[in-house]
Amino acid sequence: MEYTTALALGVLIPLISFTLLAFTGHKLGKPRSSYVALLAIGISCALSTYVLLGWLGKTPDEREALAAQAVANQFHWADFGNLAIKVGVKLDSLTVIMYFMVTFIAFWIHFFSIGYMEGHSDEVDGVSKYHRFFTYLSLFCFSMLGLVISSSLLFLFIFWELVGLCSYLLIGFYFDRKYASDAGMKAFITNRVGDFGFIIGLAMVVLFLGTFDLDEAARAFAHQFNTGTGIFEASVNLFGWHVSGGTLATLMGIGLFCGAIGKSAQFPLHVWLPDAMAGPTPVSALIHAATMVAAGVYLVARVFRLLTPEAQFFIACIGCITLTITALIAIVQTDIKKVLAYSTLSQLGYMIFGMGVGAWVAALFHLMTHAFFKAMLFLGSGQVIEGCHHEQDIRKMGGLRKKMPVTCWTFFIGVLAIAGFGIPGMHLGLGGYFSKDEILAVAYERAFNLPALKETDAAADDAGEHAHAIGRRRITSDRSKPASNIALASGVEAAHAPADAHHGDHRTGTLEKVGIAARLPALPPIMFWLPIIIAYVTPFYMMRCWWLTFCGKPRDHHVHDHAHESWKMFLPLAVLAIGTFYCSFATFRPLIHDAAAAATNSPAIVAIDGEAHNLEEAGAGAMLMLNHAPGKNPHDWLAYGVGFAWLIGMGFAAALYRNGLAAAERLRRRFALIHTALDQKLYFDHLYDGVLVAGTRTLGVVCYWFDKIFIDGTVNGVAMLTRWIGSFSGRQLDMPVQRGDWGLVDAVANGMAATVLDIGSQIRRPQSGRIRTYVCITAGAAAVALLAVLYFDQLAAGIDWLVTRTSTLAQG
Amino acid sequence: MLDIGLNHYMVLSALVFALGLLCMVTKRNAIGILIGVELVLNAANINLVAFSRYQTGAGDGHIVAVFIILLAAAEAAIGIAIFMNFYNTLATIDVDRGDELRH
Repeated sequence: MEYTTALALGVLIPLISFTLLAFTGHKLGKPRSSYVALLAIGISCALSTYVLLGWLGKTPDEREALAAQAVANQFHWADFGNLAIKVGVKLDSLTVIMYFMVTFIAFWIHFFSIGYMEGHSDEVDGVSKYHRFFTYLSLFCFSMLGLVISSSLLFLFIFWELVGLCSYLLIGFYFDRKYASDAGMKAFITNRVGDFGFIIGLAMVVLFLGTFDLDEAARAFAHQFNTGTGIFEASVNLFGWHVSGGTLATLMGIGLFCGAIGKSAQFPLHVWLPDAMAGPTPVSALIHAATMVAAGVYLVARVFRLLTPEAQFFIACIGCITLTITALIAIVQTDIKKVLAYSTLSQLGYMIFGMGVGAWVAALFHLMTHAFFKAMLFLGSGQVIEGCHHEQDIRKMGGLRKKMPVTCWTFFIGVLAIAGFGIPGMHLGLGGYFSKDEILAVAYERAFNLPALKETDAAADDAGEHAHAIGRRRITSDRSKPASNIALASGVEAAHAPADAHHGDHRTGTLEKVGIAARLPALPPIMFWLPIIIAYVTPFYMMRCWWLTFCGKPRDHHVHDHAHESWKMFLPLAVLAIGTFYCSFATFRPLIHDAAAAATNSPAIVAIDGEAHNLEEAGAGAMLMLNHAPGKNPHDWLAYGVGFAWLIGMGFAAALYRNGLAAAERLRRRFALIHTALDQKLYFDHLYDGVLVAGTRTLGVVCYWFDKIFIDGTVNGVAMLTRWIGSFSGRQLDMPVQRGDWGLVDAVANGMAATVLDIGSQIRRPQSGRIRTYVCITAGAAAVALLAVLYFDQLAAGIDWLVTRTSTLAQG
Repeated sequence: MLDIGLNHYMVLSALVFALGLLCMVTKRNAIGILIGVELVLNAANINLVAFSRYQTGAGDGHIVAVFIILLAAAEAAIGIAIFMNFYNTLATIDVDRGDELRH
């Protein structure tokens, strides 16, 4: 089977399952409807495994040929003026790997859900909601997989909205509970804010690049950048603010990124994700940890070629802010799912930050490893919550180690993975160790090693290899910030990658990138130090969560006595734990690296490959590689800087919570102010409630009173005035001689009124008050009018004939 | 293979329109009527886009269609707000029950 066909089938099968369940789910009933969904995603998973295994066995040339074939097989769907809209599968290593990740995790979460939903009430007003859960899950799988394989931004956007809808439906699954339906609405509305920016970005892509297709758009962007045409010479007047050239291109990139801010819950819009934990736990694992929230990072990865250095810098800032504040908030959370939610936010911040600093490979690699261990952590928390009779407060747990051993140790593997467990100096560690290290290494490069890059560029300039003067001049004029001179620059040798042997165009691409690299703004050192510090905070709060849940003495015997675990729920945990151990480094990293060459090949951007563990091997491709003199490798620095962060952070947490909550309580009283601020989530919710929600409500009240006082007042005033005039004139003009004797005016008026009443009571008969009758009458009248117009000639002829005939008869 | 032309779109549009009208006439549930209205509007959209594609060739029909989609969204928002009030007053959204203005 062709890969594109297999992937497309894998998307459609969950859709079939959704349709089936939507119409017959209530008849299938409690256990059976879940099997349909499980079977559907199982087939998708098998197909994706088939594609993945086949893809792994292909050489780069074969992969390229397959990708070209996929482009050729695109279906021309419609034309919108000159804009062709094509439906197609984007086939490259990133699609294959993302697709596999989504189906694999989704399959095991479906499996888990069957066990999870067994013990949950699923009735509202006596109507079972059980099948709805799996219906929505199937719809989600369809939309998420569609998002992953879309080759066009338009379809990416459509599926993007569909996953948002599924997220809303599933967060509000227990819609009879106020907090759940509120959380659903919050998630949906917050995402709309981000999508507004996304739509503007899309509109700019269509306006300036003239296509929806990801590859075509990237080519057009590169061409416009090199020749200084299109978006780089356009200018727009925006509320009196003149925007042109590179700034406009930056705004386009930021617009597209706004979608990711919403979906990936980045800094100003991060408030929805913690509330989204109101949904059932498998939903939190699948949608709000592993797949959908990572779609924002995936989007940035896909539109990476449309970003300017300034847009990248903006992305890095947002990521850095998010990862910092959310990690701090995670420290004080007491709800087990909230801790995980904030840690998800923080890790998403790392990914977005990675994208922003140009660590394309590292960010996606982190996405993959994170998907596995975070799904596992959430499923573990689901098992705990289920086992403890819906107790979510970790302060009431404790000592569950013996009651649920499998959950405990798989959860611990997850904690190790997110903490970045690894042994510095050796190639030994869990996925999170490598991926986070890579992001930090690239951040280090961007913060401290940039001058070296600039020197290389100057050399390239001297050698006359640099041809694209227009684009560069444009960029130069946009940026006036001189590079900060950092002492570390000396002795560090940076060189661009040797171009890929069989792609001539990559050579120029690489040289252009060096031109860009020289003009990259150096990352402020704070943006390197914050992620480093948070790398120490992450192990602390995760270990705190694990320790309070599973270790120590039981703090609430009621909870402790009920605790139990079931195989239906810990089997997925074990499988995902194995995935965390194995897949992340062995399978994901090489494939993402393979996709990187094409996905970052644009002159306007620079991507830095952070894998200095093995630089010689990583030399090929279109990305900018950093070669380092021995001993100056950032990974060597980082290995000892943060290599043991997991040990320090986890050790500190274990020491603090060794004897229960007492020590932490003392600490809390000591720093009461900070604790309160963090406990209140840094008052973002208060701010949004106070300004936006209250503002809207105030506007509503103002409108209401405007309507009541001004509009109603005018109408009522006119009516009163009329009545007053009427009664006044009545008294003046029409004075009855005797009681009961009507004057002339009265007689006329009443007579008219009586006639009107008569006519009215005849006319009102068709006014039945039934809207459906009115629709009938309107439609019938329209039909008659239509027929009259259409057959006007015949009608006229008929009347003519009738008249002639009558006159003939009269004469004869 | 069947060559799809303007006529096919017109027939499709007529069918959608008729179904929408049928929906509006037969449904007593207010939401059902709203859905019928949407169908009717979309039938008009199909016609607009088809004519713009086959007759004028320019994109103006598309633009009007997008406006109609926006309008339909606004209409749905207002419609549902009215039904909320309807429900608050009569504790049902059966439109046949809302005949008090007749008297």
